Amino acid sequence: MANTEVEAVDFEPEDDDLMDEDVDGGSPRAPIPKLKSAITGGSSFSAPKKTKGRGFREEATTAEAERNARMSGRFDSLDSEDGPGAERSIEGWIILVTGVHEEAQEDDLLNTFGEFGEIKSLHLNLDRRTGFVKGYALIEYENFEEAQEAINKMDGSELLLQSIHVDWAFSKGPFKRRNMRRRSPRGHRSRSPRRRF
Amino acid sequence: MAETGDENGGANGGEFYLRYYVGHKGKFGHEFLEFEFRPDGKLRYANNSNYKNDTMIRKEVFVTPAVLKECRRIVADSEIMKEDDNNWPEPDRVGRQELEIVMGNEHISFTTSKIGSLMDVQTSKDPEGLRIFYYLVQDLKCFVFSLISLHFKIKPI
Repeated sequence: MANTEVEAVDFEPEDDDLMDEDVDGGSPRAPIPKLKSAITGGSSFSAPKKTKGRGFREEATTAEAERNARMSGRFDSLDSEDGPGAERSIEGWIILVTGVHEEAQEDDLLNTFGEFGEIKSLHLNLDRRTGFVKGYALIEYENFEEAQEAINKMDGSELLLQSIHVDWAFSKGPFKRRNMRRRSPRGHRSRSPRRRF
Repeated sequence: MAETGDENGGANGGEFYLRYYVGHKGKFGHEFLEFEFRPDGKLRYANNSNYKNDTMIRKEVFVTPAVLKECRRIVADSEIMKEDDNNWPEPDRVGRQELEIVMGNEHISFTTSKIGSLMDVQTSKDPEGLRIFYYLVQDLKCFVFSLISLHFKIKPI
């Protein structure tokens, strides 16, 4: 009985996907936008954009060619298998805390997040204009389990009376739009590229 | 089909792309720093300084939606999308900055010269707009440097 319900929930999102594809059917598929397209006025972005700035006018082709040359070389990355999930950084596991109070001190974070394991690094960056905390912190733990526990226990909790969110900072691979805003619970990936807009 | 969540300038949803470039061409060749956040989460970082050693640093890593969301939040809070680079100093021999952002249904591609200090901002024709740009760029660099250095343990710059 319960199983059937779970199944039903699993199926519904797929129907949803099919509908999306129908809607998309008439327009050219918008793949993951490439660097180039973003520069040339967003031609591969699926919706027309209001554009603004000299970057759209001046020597656009030269600038674009230069940019492609700059960004076309090999970029180093840490070796990791593709797929979903958090990616390990070179010396540990990094989590991102957002919603951090502007008057938070390093000690507030060290005390709160030190409960889950030794904090190897903490970046509590400041707003360059105001000098107050910008609103996020990056924390490094040595072990996956420590970081995972910090996320489990602290995401959605309060720090200095402000609600904070805690999540991994790095991922093994690209994410799909479905991760950005959920419309319905989805147990598995959709099988086709999702519309970006 | 209709997107919701764009009420605050796309801070919560919709497309997001951000690229920043600063550089110049001088006696050490083309020296520049550039980074971009792509919509699928790929963060790319390139830093080319030919001074003394001529190694180009190029790094890339996928960030989570949470990181992109925070980046969007920083951009939205700055209200840079309301500005215009019409009256900003033009890129010159000393250097060039480019800031390109796609957020929601807006796409900006601003260019200007290097900004040495707040003095350059005050004396420009659009001090309010340029100040927003000046601080946003610093906040973005700070965010990216932290991400890159924590992930790769290299000291940017």
